[in-house]
Amino acid sequence: MATKSLRTLDSNNQRRLLPSYILIITWVIFTFILIGWVLFASLSTSQEIFSDHMFRFKTGFHFDNYVRAWKTQRVSTYFMNSVLYTAVSCTTIILIAAPAAYVLSRFRFKGNSVVQNLIASALGIPAIMIVMPLFSLVSRMRLTNNRWLLIFLYISMNVPFTTFFLLAFFKNLSTTYEEAASIDGCSPMGTFWRIMLPLVQPGLITVTVFNFITIWNEYFMSMIFANKPQVRPVSVGLFNMIQAMRYTGDWGGMFASVVIVFAPTFLLYIFLSERIIAGVTAGAIKG
Amino acid sequence: MKKNRLMIVLFLTPALLCYLLVFLYPSVRTTVMSFFKVESVSDPISSWTFNGLENYRTLWATSIFKQSMKNIARIWFAGGLGVMIVALFFAVSLTNGMKGVKFFRSVIYLPNVVSAIAMGTMWINYVYNSSYGLLHNIFATLRLAVLSETLWTGPDNLFWSMLVAYCFGMVGYHMLIFMASIEQIPRDYTEAALIEGANAFQRFYKITLPFLRGCFRTNLVMWTVFTVGFFVWAQLFSPVNLSNATVAPMNYMYELVFGSSASTGTMRNSGAGAAIGVIMMVIVIIAFALTNLIVRSDDVEL
Repeated sequence: MATKSLRTLDSNNQRRLLPSYILIITWVIFTFILIGWVLFASLSTSQEIFSDHMFRFKTGFHFDNYVRAWKTQRVSTYFMNSVLYTAVSCTTIILIAAPAAYVLSRFRFKGNSVVQNLIASALGIPAIMIVMPLFSLVSRMRLTNNRWLLIFLYISMNVPFTTFFLLAFFKNLSTTYEEAASIDGCSPMGTFWRIMLPLVQPGLITVTVFNFITIWNEYFMSMIFANKPQVRPVSVGLFNMIQAMRYTGDWGGMFASVVIVFAPTFLLYIFLSERIIAGVTAGAIKG
Repeated sequence: MKKNRLMIVLFLTPALLCYLLVFLYPSVRTTVMSFFKVESVSDPISSWTFNGLENYRTLWATSIFKQSMKNIARIWFAGGLGVMIVALFFAVSLTNGMKGVKFFRSVIYLPNVVSAIAMGTMWINYVYNSSYGLLHNIFATLRLAVLSETLWTGPDNLFWSMLVAYCFGMVGYHMLIFMASIEQIPRDYTEAALIEGANAFQRFYKITLPFLRGCFRTNLVMWTVFTVGFFVWAQLFSPVNLSNATVAPMNYMYELVFGSSASTGTMRNSGAGAAIGVIMMVIVIIAFALTNLIVRSDDVEL
């Protein structure tokens, strides 16, 4: 009886949710149109984009837009730069942040909570507050347009968030692992690398996906510290390309560049959206 | 114990060094710099001259800075109100027994993982385009000539067009935070209310809202942090020069310190740029303190 009444309540509920369905589905369709349109436009010629018959592809699919963007518009350079920057940074961030998070979550020592608060405070410091002294330091050391400097910045700027994120994961592990390891004669450091770190693997993957997305899309710092085309990452490169292509009138090539730039994070999201969504809330709720 | 101490030092040092070098030292130096007359950002400290609050006074007398503060105030308030209402509505709907929750939720969050430059380009060159754009086509089909001929990125509409495009992407993030809190509300409460015949609005006001106070705090603080960092969208909507309609404090700071366009005639003034940084930092701190005060965290910690 109870289940039956709940079921009728549920069908009533579905009917009452109709406005919600309409609004959310409209929103979702709009998102699809936005991305679908760019995909189609990236396969059309500039004339077709401006005509009223743009999605009939009378002249076929223009993959040459991609070839042109990749080869002549330096997208390949920007793309490879970003691949290098994100790969090196994401790995190093974990190597720095995971040990710090482990020590902060497992050991009691003087200043532990102070360090934790400092790290949390870094999450609220806006880029505008730190960019000027960094730039002055870097330009006096003649390190602008240096790949390793960019990587260093990406790493340092994301270490606090990553440490903060991983704290909760280490806190949730049982202390019996460490006890067992020390009885078997494993050193505390060995215990961390061989036992504890592999145990937080889900957290490591989630936070790395986040760092990947953040660094791939990072714009402000890259714009200031990388103004030579050879060292530019995709976000800054794309911005400059768009400004240039608007004047040359190569719209197909411009949209192809947009697609190339958002494809990696987009594909990653398609495969890992559940994990990313779980991570957003895990990272933010305590923040 | 001695071994542990060595391990603590070894494991913490790299992370602390990152923090000291990239967050603490620059923040302190920017704060100090804001009280000095500094022309170029890379001038050595010996060439700085102390001028008290002069940088702040100069900013306050500069119309483009006042405009930029007005713009982020509008972004914070109007945009924030819109984003929170839509995000909360979506979150409540999606946790209320809708079907396909996972799919909808993923699509709504999607703009957050795509580069803002790419999102902005889609909005400017497709949605708002006046000859083949989405809005143009929709209004033309509906035979609303006035609306279909509107120049959405013309000077009159630029700010609101930018705000809508920006907020569209932000809804997903805040919705996820609302959803996570709503999901932690014990099901018994809602089910009991459902059986007692409480309607959707009653359930929302009596059960959901009281539980969400802590998560409103998170959302407000994060929204403030995002607003203070507002930069890319302003640059996308006014790519060449600063425009009154879109300028945010960070864009003006960039102009003052790293000066890209000569045509605005802005003099290099890094001291004033630092003062903008300090003002933005203070806004974040105030937002944090105020939300802590208004929404006591001991109420419901979710």
